[in-house]
Amino acid sequence: MIDYFALALGHGLMVVALLRLVLRDGLDADPLLEQIASATADQRKSLSVSARNAARRARTAGDTAGDDAHANPADVDARARAQTAPR
Amino acid sequence: MPTPIPRTLTRAPALKPRRDSAVKMLDLAFLAFIGFVLVLGLKRPFLWVLLYVYIDILAPQRIGYTLITSIPVSLIAFAAAFGGWLLLDRKEGTRFSVRQGLMLALLLYCGWTTGSADFPEDAATKWDWVWKSLLFGIFLPFTLTTRARIEALALMLVLAVATIVIGTGMKTVLGGGGYDNLKFFVKDNSGIYESSTLATMAIALVPMIWWFTRFGTIIRPHWVVTAFAAALTFACFLVPVGTEARTGLLCIAVLGVMALRYVKQRLVFMAAGAALGLAALPFLPQTYYDRMATITQPSGDESASTRVAVWKWTIDYAAQNPFGGGFDAFRSNSFTYVMPITARDGNTTMIEYRQVTDKARAFHSAIFELLGEQGYPGLAIWLLLHGLGLWQMERIRARWKARKDDEAEAWIGPFAAALQMASVVYLVGALFQGIAYQPVMLMLVGLQIGLHSYCKRVESARALLERSAARKPAGGGTMRGAVTA
Repeated sequence: MIDYFALALGHGLMVVALLRLVLRDGLDADPLLEQIASATADQRKSLSVSARNAARRARTAGDTAGDDAHANPADVDARARAQTAPR
Repeated sequence: MPTPIPRTLTRAPALKPRRDSAVKMLDLAFLAFIGFVLVLGLKRPFLWVLLYVYIDILAPQRIGYTLITSIPVSLIAFAAAFGGWLLLDRKEGTRFSVRQGLMLALLLYCGWTTGSADFPEDAATKWDWVWKSLLFGIFLPFTLTTRARIEALALMLVLAVATIVIGTGMKTVLGGGGYDNLKFFVKDNSGIYESSTLATMAIALVPMIWWFTRFGTIIRPHWVVTAFAAALTFACFLVPVGTEARTGLLCIAVLGVMALRYVKQRLVFMAAGAALGLAALPFLPQTYYDRMATITQPSGDESASTRVAVWKWTIDYAAQNPFGGGFDAFRSNSFTYVMPITARDGNTTMIEYRQVTDKARAFHSAIFELLGEQGYPGLAIWLLLHGLGLWQMERIRARWKARKDDEAEAWIGPFAAALQMASVVYLVGALFQGIAYQPVMLMLVGLQIGLHSYCKRVESARALLERSAARKPAGGGTMRGAVTA
């Protein structure tokens, strides 16, 4: 009788645990690692946006001053993106 | 202490069939549970890994009597676990660690010594289950890629062992104990169903049981969980009492000393431990005192007195066979010695010295088991495997203990501490038992490797984030800043 009770209790708890595992998120993809990876991606994205903005500002400043009048704006932008792209 | 018999040799379930219908119901219940997990695994294939863990520990195919004995449930579960991982898993962050390499080296080495074993048939029988345990230990860390999976495996380990421990504890309380008398679900001394092995592993899992009361996410901390953990811990401590396994008593003492490292009020802890121990004394049977007395007087007990002789024999054997004699190499030993036999007649106690001859005495120690069977290379690999585990868990514990405030990381330090304590308890128990390839411990090794790899992944992901964050302030101002970052 004790054996049957122990088997029933142990298996009952295992069923509860397995059902919770199936229904929960984060079993196959870790939330913490995904959060860090997503934050890293955001950082890089914002970095490349700010780099583009910085390139645009530099281009505008160059046009105004006239010292970079012959530079191709598209080249500057591409150079900025290339230099700030994730390694 | 009897020699653990390989799990494939005999099958002698302790659950005696009362009625055919009851037996069939039990088998059907086991099969229903296995089928249930197989179906759930279609959605989450990792559950098949847990199913194999459950089958390997609890061995339902040896508890049952009818249908389940004819179905290769263990093979089905392993095929599902490996196939599910190979075909359906994301395998993100999978890496082959040094310790997996050590297990692989031990596996290959054991295979080689089996080929040239002193007792080929016995060696082949032991090899039949050892290679499976080692292979699963190597495979397991590949699947442990998330916190939820690490926790799920730990929970399955605890619950599978708990199922055996609950029954053992209840029988002990109700008076059914005694060395070699307490009936487990399976009565063949195989796997974890050997009294000293069960006592060691039950005590080793106690810190992990308490980890769940604070950090569990599958079953959240709740007073019911704490109450269950307290009852289960009590049952774990009852296993050495019920089975009268001397090693278990030693393991409890080691666990108590290890716990001193983590408790805040050490004096209160020591006083409470001493009070509990003293309070338990009147409830212990006389046979327990008699058996424990042999710890300090090993000459009065055959099991204890032959150990030293076997260990000396093993050292001599290893000197002649430094590369080991293969599994079950102990079968060639033979000892003759004089032992005191105590006989009581009324109030008179007589001690008679008799000559006893023992043949094929087991190693009674994992250290000497490896030394005799796998020689010095095998012993070195095994010691390195477990030594490295203790060191890695210590490093993780020290590095992550400060991160108590972040729920996503606060669990790591205490989990490493629980795994480290499990290792220490196992290693102390293994000094007096031939449990070098104990499957539950190899699963704990897999868990340690999984945790170590997970921590490495978090650290490297965080380092990447910090590097990209360091670029931002530099890039916020001018074009030059963005470039130099």
